[in-house]
Amino acid sequence: MLKGFRNILIKELKELIRDPKILIGIIIIPIIMFPVLGLVIGYAEQTAIEQAQKTSLLVVNNDGGNWSETLISYLQAAGAETTIVNNLTSQQLVSQGLLAKNNATQFVEIPQGFTENLTKHFAGDTNITAVVNVYGIFNIGGIFSNIGSSGITNFVYSFNRYVAPDVLQTTQSSIIKGEIQQNVDPATLSSLLISQSIILPITIMILLTYSMQIAATSVAMEKEEKTLETLLTMPVDRFSILMGKLSSSALVAGLGAITYLVGYSYLFGSITSGVSTTGASLDLAALGLAPTALGYILLGITLFVTLLAGLALAVIISAFAEDVRGATALVGYMYPLIFIPSFALIYIDINVLPLPIKAVLFAIPFSQPVIASKAVIAGDYLTTILGIIYVTAFTLVVMYIASRLFATEKILTAKLRFGRRGSKKTAEQQE
Amino acid sequence: MLSLAVDAKSLVKQFGNIRALDELSFQIKQGEIFGLIGPNGAGKTTTLRIVSTLIIPTSGTATIFGLDTVKQSGEVRKIISYLPEEAGAYPNLSGNEYLEFMAKFNTKNQKELRETIEEAAKISGLGERLKDKAKTYSKGMKRRLLVARALMTKPKLAVLDEPASGLDVLHAYHVRQIIKNYVKEHGTTVLLSSHNMLEVEYLCDRVALLNKGKIVVEGEPDELKTKYQSQNLEEVFAKVIGYA
Repeated sequence: MLKGFRNILIKELKELIRDPKILIGIIIIPIIMFPVLGLVIGYAEQTAIEQAQKTSLLVVNNDGGNWSETLISYLQAAGAETTIVNNLTSQQLVSQGLLAKNNATQFVEIPQGFTENLTKHFAGDTNITAVVNVYGIFNIGGIFSNIGSSGITNFVYSFNRYVAPDVLQTTQSSIIKGEIQQNVDPATLSSLLISQSIILPITIMILLTYSMQIAATSVAMEKEEKTLETLLTMPVDRFSILMGKLSSSALVAGLGAITYLVGYSYLFGSITSGVSTTGASLDLAALGLAPTALGYILLGITLFVTLLAGLALAVIISAFAEDVRGATALVGYMYPLIFIPSFALIYIDINVLPLPIKAVLFAIPFSQPVIASKAVIAGDYLTTILGIIYVTAFTLVVMYIASRLFATEKILTAKLRFGRRGSKKTAEQQE
Repeated sequence: MLSLAVDAKSLVKQFGNIRALDELSFQIKQGEIFGLIGPNGAGKTTTLRIVSTLIIPTSGTATIFGLDTVKQSGEVRKIISYLPEEAGAYPNLSGNEYLEFMAKFNTKNQKELRETIEEAAKISGLGERLKDKAKTYSKGMKRRLLVARALMTKPKLAVLDEPASGLDVLHAYHVRQIIKNYVKEHGTTVLLSSHNMLEVEYLCDRVALLNKGKIVVEGEPDELKTKYQSQNLEEVFAKVIGYA
């Protein structure tokens, strides 16, 4: 154990836990913030549904009768851009890559016997109904990218009401990693995966911002009160001072993470139950959509290294501040780097982005937990491991700079000043 | 002959274009109270920070009981204690907790730790208030706590930057008494800086007048007053730098 580390750690914990500002941040803020986020997400969902209704539709006509022609005409008249394929099984269509060729993410199969069944129904045998099969590619990329299938279903329902009630039934199936999973609704899957695709990124965003704030305040307060100056003349390893600060901030942040996760899961429990009614019985692991044990471990490591990167960065930044207010402001400038990629990646699939944007997103360490949360579900461990290596290297560089700062007089003399025209320059403290 | 507690040789400290110290040299004998006096920006704090291993001189050397402040900074930190000007304590720790936290760096076992904290409690004279959080202390109380912290480990050299600045008469008197008595009792060497000439005359065996990073005059207070035919050190200082 490093000399003095335990002593520093205990002192740091006492100081942090007793600060009312931290308690407010951990308990009061979430109560206000989560409902606001709920509204934002609801709006995004609505937009996604509207967009899904405009997407192109592939129709496989295995029936060839009059009623199938009527249904297709109805879909076209309702505004769906349709491409028609005849006599193909659903798996053949997927295997031949026809969805990608037609820029479609879903298709409707009108099975053989469709016209026959409807004709019988209208002839008086009302027990006979017809079936339309709807297939959608399940996309792990963005949370609302799977709502398209519900749009198609709405068209079919509307046709049902148009011809006669209770004459048509639909089945929902998902295409997951190139395989058709019969009777698994992509929209239901999507809502089930909310925990992986939203809760984690948002929790890590909040966790990062608060822990960075705590770490920065801790260093700046020591500078402001000149307790750091005193500490640096004590027979204590300076790396211990740095590690004590980072570790205590990480522990307090961990406590905050648990509070957030509990509150946030509670909030999203209600949203999920609104979207999904039958999904609870689906086995995500059997469908290959739940992280494996290795996936969870990799995700945990990603979260840890990202948190450490943020803390180390905050310590460095605050070393350049003259006081707590300055440190808070300087750390605040880092927030867009946390919020923008994380929010973007909740809704957008990184794999569909152009390479330069993808590279920029990957280079921001704070994107990694979100990228990893999707990658582990998709079984893409390479991306996750590369992310961990990258963030670890980033953290080591930042920690090296931080330890260099603590080892030299720069920790006391370095200052970042903002000139009248916003230009930055370093100045040295002297008397 | 007593060994040298501090030996500063040709200290230069450059901050960008500003030369904070300009070939500054002085020596302090063991058990002496040595005062640096001078206007703001004269280089007092910079000198104290170099002696305390906080900053590195651009050129020149400073040794503390033969230990180099740059090459042997770790060893120097074991025998010195530094009190920055207008320093604070940790607001959410009690006085006792603060003393315990700081004492742990210099003590080897529980007995030594307990004795050190008891010593600090005695020096500070804060009694039961040591159980309260430091944020409830007045400026004077906080300074007494910090002076006690600086002396409790019986350092060979105590470096005190403006030990009684900004305090009311009674608190300032108490702090000066602490320093004077403690040095007499334990033979600690003290290097202090001050604006207060009364304080310096009362406390210091020898003083150095600093101006623009250089020592302009150095000696015992009485010796300087006689030499410059002055009533007090304030007058000496004014005459030396040409204000009077």
